[in-house]
Amino acid sequence: MKPNLLRAAIAALMLLAGGNAAEAHIVAARLGDFYMGVVHPLTDLGDVVLWTATGVLAGTLGGAKGRWLIPVFPLGLLTGLLLGQMLGAVSTQLADAAMMLALGMLLAAAAQVPTVLLCAMAFVVAMIRGAANGADLAPETDRVLFAAGLACVGYAAITLTMALTAAFRRTTADSPTSWRAIAVRALGGWIAAIGLMMGSLALAS
Amino acid sequence: MSAIRYLRLALLAVTLALAVLMRPSAVSAHEAAMGVLEFREVRPGAFVGRWSIEPSIGASRVDLRVPPHCFLRLPEMNCGTKGLVGPITITNLGSNMSVVLIKVVPIEGEPRSYTISTANPVVSVLGTGAPTLEVWLELARTYVNYGIDHILLGADHLLFVLGLIWIVGGGWRLVKTITAFTIGHSASLAAAAFGLIGVPERPLNACIALSIAFVGVEIVKQQRGEIGLTARYPWIVAFSFGLVHGIGFASALAGLGLERRLLPAALLFFNIGVEIGQLAFVLLVLALIWAHRRLDAVVPRWGEALPAYLIGSVSMFWFFGRLVRVFAVI
Repeated sequence: MKPNLLRAAIAALMLLAGGNAAEAHIVAARLGDFYMGVVHPLTDLGDVVLWTATGVLAGTLGGAKGRWLIPVFPLGLLTGLLLGQMLGAVSTQLADAAMMLALGMLLAAAAQVPTVLLCAMAFVVAMIRGAANGADLAPETDRVLFAAGLACVGYAAITLTMALTAAFRRTTADSPTSWRAIAVRALGGWIAAIGLMMGSLALAS
Repeated sequence: MSAIRYLRLALLAVTLALAVLMRPSAVSAHEAAMGVLEFREVRPGAFVGRWSIEPSIGASRVDLRVPPHCFLRLPEMNCGTKGLVGPITITNLGSNMSVVLIKVVPIEGEPRSYTISTANPVVSVLGTGAPTLEVWLELARTYVNYGIDHILLGADHLLFVLGLIWIVGGGWRLVKTITAFTIGHSASLAAAAFGLIGVPERPLNACIALSIAFVGVEIVKQQRGEIGLTARYPWIVAFSFGLVHGIGFASALAGLGLERRLLPAALLFFNIGVEIGQLAFVLLVLALIWAHRRLDAVVPRWGEALPAYLIGSVSMFWFFGRLVRVFAVI
């Protein structure tokens, strides 16, 4: 039974990790390239997990550190998108997995990350995902509109995730063994595990 | 004369121009390459299609999609016992073929016409008999989605709502203001859709842009400690400009070739779609305001006036662009 469950979980993960940009392209046909930029990252497991991990980590560290990500994260996405356009399509699977593992472990360990390191990590995550999002754009896609949509959704997602996490944690001075802190640390553990599985899949394929 | 006075003067001028131009007239369709396709029912559910005016790109290149249960190979189209009911669309509308008129001539009943355009690429054919539950559901799905699309693509409407939120803040004042805007645009949308009022689209769009500039000026006034009209009577401003924006919404419904008997329902569903989109936008903005407060992330003092000037600049850019188009027509 267990191997079957494991196979099913791996198959589901592979399906999600494959990135389903079809929905985003349907959105583009209906609402244009700005909304394609908004929806595109939400249809990819790599974006959802990494953005959530970054936002939750910043949220647990408090508003004073986290608020720097409000401009840094969208800026990173735009930089990545630009680099992706200049350098062409690159596989980001291993980099995604490594960042998931790193962010997940920091969350699980309830580490007090300095602001500079937090900003640097968020910028790298955003840059990798920006490049990944720009990799499969059709030639007729309006790059400026797509970039604007991507930056907007990046700003909204990271700001809301940080605020929700900060509201959930209540205070940053919470004991690391309080049930709220443990819930966030458990989430970090799952994120690290997903990173590990995705890394293994990327190396195996 | 201060900038605000200039703006008021411009607002007055456009309003006067609108008053002169305001008359019950259909919004004129632009005259780019148009095709006319006629489907004549020869026996129940079976049609013969013929291009009475062939589009400039050639009839064979038109990518016409009919309801899934219909089989189309021009000149034949067979829709079986269900009849010609459902969405018809053309996927390759563009500058070479921007409008196609579909005429349906049934065995019994009045002929009907549907206009497919680049702005409205899908039309719903609803059959000749009394509308069934399926027809209502199809109508609801089509027009709710259409309303949502329209508000989400209407950056000018959303920017106006954003400006109102900025001035009014949260709480009951915002609920009242947004409700007043909704009542205003619903009333004028209905009036315009039923042909009670008719406003040429281009001057109206210029006026909508100016309404956003007005809100931008009101934000600046508020930041300077002055109490503007919007801060004092937000629902009156929201209702008044809602009337203007509603006529703009109606232009989206114009030219769809919708049957008059189904117009009230289509209007209702379209408006529901607009409200869903507007509510989603308002909730998103409120959520972001809450998030910024929670994170204590505020705009630095030197940048406080930036959003208002951005709203004002964008709206004036739209205003002048749209004004040019008004004079290009004349």
